[in-house]
Amino acid sequence: MDPLSLLRVVLDTTEDAARALIGRERIRLAVTGLSRAGKTVFLTSLIANLLAAGRGARTLPALSDAAGGRIRRVFVVPADTETVPRFDPDAHLGALAADPPRWPERTEDFSTLSLAIDVERRTSLGGLLPERRVTLDLIDYPGEWLLDLPMLRQGHAAWSAETLARLRRGTRAAAAADFLAFIDSLPPEAPAEDVLAKRGFTLYRDALRACRDTHGLRFLQPGRFLNPGPRGEAPLLWFFPLPDSVRGGLADLCARRYAAYLDDQRANFLDPFFSRFHRQVVLVDVLGALHAGQEAFTDTAEALAAVAAIISGANWLERLLGAAPSRVAFAATKADHVPTRARDSLAALVEHITLGARGRAEASGATVSCHAVAAIRCTEDAVARLEGQAVAAVRGVLLQEGVGATIYPGEVPMKPPEPAFWDAGLFSMPEFRPPRLDRHGASGMPHLGLDALLAWLVADLL
Amino acid sequence: MTPPGDRREDGATGLRTPTPGAAPAPRVILDEGAAPAPRLDFGWEKAVAVVAPPGSRGWSSLALLGAGAAVLVLGLSLLEAGNFVAAQFARAAWLGWLTLAVAVGGFGLVFAAIGREARGYLALRTVDRARAAHARGDVAVLQAELEAWQARLPPGLPRTGNLRDMPMDAACALVEAKTLAPIAQDAAALGRAAAMQAFAVTAVSPSPGLDALVFAWRGIRLVRQVAALHGFRPGIAGTVSLLRRVALDAATVAATDVAVDAMVRGVLSSRIAEHVAGEAAAAAVAARRMILLARTADEACRILPRG
Repeated sequence: MDPLSLLRVVLDTTEDAARALIGRERIRLAVTGLSRAGKTVFLTSLIANLLAAGRGARTLPALSDAAGGRIRRVFVVPADTETVPRFDPDAHLGALAADPPRWPERTEDFSTLSLAIDVERRTSLGGLLPERRVTLDLIDYPGEWLLDLPMLRQGHAAWSAETLARLRRGTRAAAAADFLAFIDSLPPEAPAEDVLAKRGFTLYRDALRACRDTHGLRFLQPGRFLNPGPRGEAPLLWFFPLPDSVRGGLADLCARRYAAYLDDQRANFLDPFFSRFHRQVVLVDVLGALHAGQEAFTDTAEALAAVAAIISGANWLERLLGAAPSRVAFAATKADHVPTRARDSLAALVEHITLGARGRAEASGATVSCHAVAAIRCTEDAVARLEGQAVAAVRGVLLQEGVGATIYPGEVPMKPPEPAFWDAGLFSMPEFRPPRLDRHGASGMPHLGLDALLAWLVADLL
Repeated sequence: MTPPGDRREDGATGLRTPTPGAAPAPRVILDEGAAPAPRLDFGWEKAVAVVAPPGSRGWSSLALLGAGAAVLVLGLSLLEAGNFVAAQFARAAWLGWLTLAVAVGGFGLVFAAIGREARGYLALRTVDRARAAHARGDVAVLQAELEAWQARLPPGLPRTGNLRDMPMDAACALVEAKTLAPIAQDAAALGRAAAMQAFAVTAVSPSPGLDALVFAWRGIRLVRQVAALHGFRPGIAGTVSLLRRVALDAATVAATDVAVDAMVRGVLSSRIAEHVAGEAAAAAVAARRMILLARTADEACRILPRG
């Protein structure tokens, strides 16, 4: 830790202590997850249900009970930063409640929101003393960018070697065939030509897109190649992994841009938002990974472990100064896509898929817990008759067609399945229409397990 | 993601080929007829509805006693006055008319006073209704209450224009900035003036009993003055209700003042300070309390919750 970071951590720790003294604590909750894990919907539901709970509605009973019914008010307060767009829960809620409904688009930039939670004090004289105000800071961001974090500890050469080794394996090899052919054809002394750099970038980017969209893979770096954000595909991005054999000007150019890219990501993404938080929730679309096949499943686990090594991996000094999260929850999202009886299996499966990530978090001194949640519940339990036997299923209304359907999501194993499980093929879970919602969010939105997750994460701080 | 080989047969999409004896493969089974289906409704609004606190079971015994006494006093007085007026008419017509005029005038003033009390008392309910509407996000009711409240404000206070067609958050922020903030400043000024008086009176008063009396009188007057700033003109019942409300809100206001207050009391009530400043130390505490009271009264009368 450099002296400047140490000074900043010390100042932040002092601020936290001063805030705690006057009953004005600030909790930075990092909602992390790979792309399409459901971060935006999770945040929308969390905000809508907390605001409704602040008005007295029983939208989050487990959190309310864990806090001893002391939550008095919840309201939105201006965030600390004014340069980052405000997360707009009303717009997201309006889109979900609209007819026809729309799920939030892929997140393409940062947004942030702060909620103030007024709680009665715990003491027996709590009713007489002034209420405490706990501010919950939340941010939303493109999930793809999260995978830039592991790159921060690698140079271009090391990253290239690791990335190319991965790219030459399994389904990635077919998706990246054009790119691999391109780099294999490069002469050892390839010159620092922008045309070559851009060509390599375009082919590599297309390969990443194919891996994500066709094969459901998640360990795809750099994140801004897939989701460039509001600044678009600037020449800063025109680099790609190169084999050791290429050592000329092009290699230098790629290495330079790689370093500049990481500096940019560190300055705009990691330092402002991921340098310090108190609690963390890692969202994992474990069912999607399961349905996308063995490679996608293991790839998701590797991606989570790599991210956790950076985010949750804190040294003893950071832990001492409170710069590391003390509780980390791993949550399997879209739990409403499986019937009630399979949700425990889903939570158990997320425990296995996040084994590496959990190990990192636990080594950092954090308490870890696994959950299965649906930020918005779109289905109800049903029974389907398949091949003569009755099986537990779910029933919902399909997003595009608007017709009702019963979905049997298959067996959800409690641990990574045996090889034979993958022989059967792939399955694509359809998108469902959200249930009937109040577009003003007066009653929050139906969810599964969100209250228990929040109770575990933050109730001790209320 | 749609994997290759996606197919739909007989209303079902099965992408995993089942093997004999194995669990069935995942699949989507469309409803019969495939007519558009309504969105699911879990009855969420009802399930999470705000639990109303157990309501009071009618009037309290004390209220019944008071109401009964009032009915007896007023009713019997009216009957007695009626009988008396009739008796006077029996004696002489002019005497009857004169007695009737006296009775009507007297009872008219009594009922006018009761009406004013009731209006002053009920006006305070506006605050509860508006705050409740704000808490449950009822835009229409809140707008109506805000407009009614603005109409009652004393002349000279800045008012917010048309609040209709404005998002609730924006309307509240506007009312806060344009009307409630100046009122809070005026209330603070009233508090400072009352503090000066309390300081002066407490410092020179000969007995602690008189101190308490002066403090109570000045405190009640201050609360009524602050209420008037908010457009309320409480009578006796209204003032009692207001004092109750102020007492309840005192803890909230103390949120920002508790440290300062403790310091002032600690420093000025210490033996050294008492030795140096004598009675002025206690007077300073009384003055400080008056400023706090003005802020508490302002908090109690605010039509919108702070923050």
